[in-house]
Amino acid sequence: MSNHQTLNNSDHAALRVHTGAGAQFGDAAMAALVVPNEFRQVQVHYPIVFRRDNDGGRFNALALLGFENGENLFLEGSEWDAAYRPLSMAIQPFLVGRPVDESHEPTVHIDMDHPRISADGEGIRLFDELGRPTPYVEQISAQLGDLHVGYEDSAAFIAALERYELLEPFSFEVTLANGAKNTLVGFHMINEDKLQQLDGDALGALHADGHLMPIFMAVASLSNLSELVERKNRREARG
Amino acid sequence: MRSEFNRLVIVGGGTAGWLSACLLAARRPELDVTLVEAPDIPTIGIGEGSWPTLRETLATIGIDEARFLSACDASFKQGSRFDGWVDGSADDSYYHPFTPPASAPMAGILSAWSAQQGKAASFAGAVTPQIAVCDRDLAPRQRAMPAFTGALNYGYHLDAGKLGALLAEHGTAHLGVKHVRAHVTGVERGEDGLLAKLLLRGGDTVEGDFFIDCTGMAARLIGDELGVGWRDRSDVSFNDRALAMQVPVAPGSAIASQTVGTAHKAGWLWDIGLPTRRGIGCVYSSRFLSDEDAEAILADYITAKVPGADPGALAPRKLQFATGHREQFWRGNCLAVGLSAGFIEPLEASAIVLIELSLKALADAYPHSRSALPRLADRFNALFRYRWDRIVDFLKLHYVLSKRGEPYWQAQRDPATIPETLAGQLELWRDHPPSAADFPQVDEIFSAFSQQYVLYGMGFPLPSAARPAPEPDALRRLAEVSERSRALAAALPSNRTYLDTLRAAEADRGAQGAIA
Repeated sequence: MSNHQTLNNSDHAALRVHTGAGAQFGDAAMAALVVPNEFRQVQVHYPIVFRRDNDGGRFNALALLGFENGENLFLEGSEWDAAYRPLSMAIQPFLVGRPVDESHEPTVHIDMDHPRISADGEGIRLFDELGRPTPYVEQISAQLGDLHVGYEDSAAFIAALERYELLEPFSFEVTLANGAKNTLVGFHMINEDKLQQLDGDALGALHADGHLMPIFMAVASLSNLSELVERKNRREARG
Repeated sequence: MRSEFNRLVIVGGGTAGWLSACLLAARRPELDVTLVEAPDIPTIGIGEGSWPTLRETLATIGIDEARFLSACDASFKQGSRFDGWVDGSADDSYYHPFTPPASAPMAGILSAWSAQQGKAASFAGAVTPQIAVCDRDLAPRQRAMPAFTGALNYGYHLDAGKLGALLAEHGTAHLGVKHVRAHVTGVERGEDGLLAKLLLRGGDTVEGDFFIDCTGMAARLIGDELGVGWRDRSDVSFNDRALAMQVPVAPGSAIASQTVGTAHKAGWLWDIGLPTRRGIGCVYSSRFLSDEDAEAILADYITAKVPGADPGALAPRKLQFATGHREQFWRGNCLAVGLSAGFIEPLEASAIVLIELSLKALADAYPHSRSALPRLADRFNALFRYRWDRIVDFLKLHYVLSKRGEPYWQAQRDPATIPETLAGQLELWRDHPPSAADFPQVDEIFSAFSQQYVLYGMGFPLPSAARPAPEPDALRRLAEVSERSRALAAALPSNRTYLDTLRAAEADRGAQGAIA
């Protein structure tokens, strides 16, 4: 459930938000939405995969965090064990608000039912005593801006991947050190063979639209799959 | 190698005694530590403000920070605020925080500060984000941070009686300290003149190889038994009386992040906020103020500063003290720690930190053989004589820079009462700011940055070295401090929130422990 409000310094004057990591804050997720303009940072830690959204519609790019629902292998108690968190998670409990019409800038919204909303006086304040946004809110605004741009670029990026048939379904069977198996199904990845076969015109067009770099970042990110298996093995070994 | 001084005997069970027992037992586990305490002697328990050093001390002893905060009714101390010390006007206030100024050459920082003084705040507020945090009654850390670490440097305000009890329980349960409750009626010496044995009421005895005198102002070993002389410092430090009161506070009320010292016409008042009470006291010189007038000053302060408090319903504790210290702190096989070593008004909370430094020095160079005793004692005595001189100088600095006109304050500025070392430093600081070169010891109690906070907080003229136009780097440092002030003011919880949440969690843990 959610309760979205437009962020403002009167309703939210003394509000605090928990910024730490933790399952209680909604961080126990096996994947996070990512956008092409952050692929460079994402591919350092996470495999980037693709999946159609729930109603079988368009593809979304995802950073893979675990192998089963609710499993985030980067979450260790109150620590997120990676230097970069995907924007879609870092901005929680905030959202980009839709502007009333084209002439208005997007606004910052906050989900007042999100578990990151603090009721106990701990957490970071959003406004100072004089109602000025704190550095935290300034940072969130910048991240929401990046995410907004990323969402808008995503449609064209995914359309280009589909146009050149660069997405292929894959299933990934994880065999753990203890013999247990996990199978990932329903995900797509970039087909490297198809990518290699693209001619100069196609590559030139992808490059001109800014898609080539994120495509290669996504390809490179798949080397993180084995690291993710290792994380799973370590967690299983600890019991 | 087993020491010839393996049996360590501590006499006295106040803060000094139990810190001695726990710290030596933790640092020197090979020692056999016994603490002898008279069962019915009240402790003074005036040292309710600590330096950041207490964090390391507690960690060394092995006491959990959350447990300490909850068991000792403690709060965070991030420094001191001095109100009314310059001229007594309404906006006369400055901070001496624990976090050092932005790290850049001080002459450059001063020049940058004076260039932006029109818009910016006090010296301390310009050079450290700690002031923004103190002004808002915020804690120096978040609960999720590892124990004993913070976003800013901090010590504690605490209930000294409860600290003694916590240390006693921990020392006897976990560090092997033997606790003997008995009156010491006499001391026996060996043929070499060293202390050898305590005679206890009822006929028992306690033999020892090394003794720590924590008997407070009574100084049973270092004074009565060994006859070490007292060096009076009241020619420099005038105050000789205090009235102390514990004022209960309303649940949910704000807890200050600093000790507040407010000047009055013949001394000053302390105000230390704990979760359940405020310790408030009036320090004065009996030469300049009667006890009745001091009581009136204290009652007026409480009425003005503590909402809902009724000072008439509370009786102040009256304390008299002599300012000074032993001619020697270590003689033979006996070391004086705490009030037996010396006392000065608690203006900069030097009591507990002096205890810690004494014990650190002893633990770092604990004697193994008799032949080393004289040299170890000489070295210790020279170091602590230096430390006492620096404390006396630093406290005097607070008075010397005042412009208040009452007879007491004029007398404080009489050149005949200012130590030569301090007068010399003040001359030097017209040329360049206080620096490490002025305070060359390791573990200086009041390092150059403490002196800077007092000097420039009280309006001492900028030194010649700070005259050139500010460098871009120094201006950048001050801009960083201002950004960091905003970030920390947003990120840190209030002291009240932090401590109430922690105390509730500790109570739960205690309850679970009781069931288990």
